[in-house]
Amino acid sequence: MECSFALTGKGYVLIAADMTSARSIVKMKHDEDKVKPLGPHLLMTYSGEPGDTVQFAEYVERNLRLYQIRNHSVLRPHSAASWIRRTLADSLRSRSPYSVNLLVGGYDVSEHEPHLYWIDYLGTMATVPFAAHGYGSYFALSLLDRYHNPSASLEEGIETLKRCIDEVQKRLIIGLGKFKVRVVDKDGVREIEI
Amino acid sequence: MARRYDSRTTIFSPEGRLYQIEYAMEAISHAGTVLGVLAKDGVVLAAEKKVTGKLLDLSSVKEGGYGGSGEKIFLLNRNVIAGVAGFSADANSLINYSRQSAQRHLFSYNEDIPVEQLVQRLCDLKQGYTQYGGAFIPLCVTSSLHMATGLRPFGVSLLYAGYDPHYQFQLYHSDPSGNYSGWKATCIGANNGTAQSLLKQEYKEDISVEDAIDLVIRVMSKTMDSTTLSSEKLEFATLKLDETTRQPVAKIYRPADVDALLAKQGIGKKDGDVEMK
Amino acid sequence: MELNGGSVVAMVGKNCVAIASDLRLGNQALTVATNFEKVFPVTDRIYLGLPGLATDVATLRERFRYRVNMYTIKEEREIEPETFAHLVSSTLYEKRFGPYFIEPVVAGLTSPERGSKPFIAATDLIGCLNFAKDFVVCGTASSKLFGVAEGLWEPDLEPDELFETISQTLLNAVDRDAFSGWGAIVHVITPEKVVTRTLKGRMD
Repeated sequence: MECSFALTGKGYVLIAADMTSARSIVKMKHDEDKVKPLGPHLLMTYSGEPGDTVQFAEYVERNLRLYQIRNHSVLRPHSAASWIRRTLADSLRSRSPYSVNLLVGGYDVSEHEPHLYWIDYLGTMATVPFAAHGYGSYFALSLLDRYHNPSASLEEGIETLKRCIDEVQKRLIIGLGKFKVRVVDKDGVREIEI
Repeated sequence: MARRYDSRTTIFSPEGRLYQIEYAMEAISHAGTVLGVLAKDGVVLAAEKKVTGKLLDLSSVKEGGYGGSGEKIFLLNRNVIAGVAGFSADANSLINYSRQSAQRHLFSYNEDIPVEQLVQRLCDLKQGYTQYGGAFIPLCVTSSLHMATGLRPFGVSLLYAGYDPHYQFQLYHSDPSGNYSGWKATCIGANNGTAQSLLKQEYKEDISVEDAIDLVIRVMSKTMDSTTLSSEKLEFATLKLDETTRQPVAKIYRPADVDALLAKQGIGKKDGDVEMK
Repeated sequence: MELNGGSVVAMVGKNCVAIASDLRLGNQALTVATNFEKVFPVTDRIYLGLPGLATDVATLRERFRYRVNMYTIKEEREIEPETFAHLVSSTLYEKRFGPYFIEPVVAGLTSPERGSKPFIAATDLIGCLNFAKDFVVCGTASSKLFGVAEGLWEPDLEPDELFETISQTLLNAVDRDAFSGWGAIVHVITPEKVVTRTLKGRMD
């Protein structure tokens, strides 16, 4: 039932994920943060097999940090996403594959553009203007087809994101509780209350 | 027993010196000159070829291969070229190693390798030969440290001209010990002292590629043994940005291009004219 | 193949070849992206189409780029299409018992020294080469592509006629396939230049 959304706008990427942690039919937690900042201008949501998700997200986070320490430079969003994709693609054909779906959003400081990548547990990567994972994607993608505007201001972007969240809360048979929303733009990563 | 501390690369002498490294550097200071100048819109490399002669088969060189890698200047990756001074055989193995490293980075990250990272990769390898005497390439974690004792370090210094989006155009130098440093203009090989003091006098901040080419040729013509510059003795390369795509373009001049350039600068030999103008 | 969807077709013309793919990336019936190209340049005159499992599309594309870059820089010349086809074949066969789920298509012209002759080939997912003189089809719409191509293709088409033929073939075939579509990209390779055009199809 996990669900995450992301969309790009004029100079930013908005990323949201639900905050429930469930096991079978039981809601175990309602304040789980599934949006991880991976660098000064990079964000990632993760969902999938419990255990794999946190493990993989931290593996990525630490490796990108290591790259930054070793080379005194931060990987650009496209390079970071490509590396994450390769890691998942290699993992898929290993003895114990990670089962994690990701949305990676970042702001490229050298070309001043926001970037969003849809990545699934197979290592499939797509460069997209908006994206969703989980059951929410069946509702949200058609809404985003209708309302997404790549040059929308942050306020307009948040409005569109709210539409998606409201639709999921309305139509999905299980309410997902609160959503964690973060944005990444030229000033870096920050949280947004909605 | 003067040779006691000479025979192995990995042992300090009582004065705290590594003789093998110093010998390697000495060997390089007799090699053909390689010169590099960093300009605001590009980098220029030039190299002196020592191996010439009437009987040397230059048929393949004259033709100019794809990418134009010559005897002394090589394309390492789309965004990096290097000029080598020292043992060509050693250089070839380093060139291959750096090309593989660059492609491995492209494979992992979908971007051209940042220039300094490529230089670092190569220096890690070179440093290995000064300490534990061999390459420990951490490709396979499970394999135990390869302890084949290296007999000598790489007898090669390199000048790297490169471009990446982080620091734009760059010029680096690395020596057999694995030291490296960034430069605005520098020179390795024979007469590098003369060349460097000339460069120090003549280098200007914000120099353009055109002026840098001019400067490189002027300095080369003063430091090289021969009186006449020609494609037989000189290799030449530039790295610039493509005007439309904003991607780095390396141009290693083919022999005919070198002669044309020298003629344009008024330094090359003309038909039947052996003397330098 | 049906997980992500996608189709590729290549055709021979008179002193030219063309290769085209659709642009859909799906997750079963759900369309995730409509800008997912499956045809990649290998050299100035060779293109490679990789329809199939999208994770392997990216991985193979990157592996071939590595191999071809090293080939070019070491050999100091560009790879011939036939040589490249064999590289594709052996790379796939390496994974004979755990294959990449991709059916590659190679389209290109031989080097000018070899007469700039058209070359197309396709392999199955374990690298069995099929050299064709007319056209090759691959992907989820391959059965439909076969039919339309059989009807439209004729020998010795000029570049612009070939463009029309391959475009009509692909667009009409993917309209009958739920897993392919959302427009197409077409490359027509001639000895002088490569013309790349993005087409809109039925966007539904």
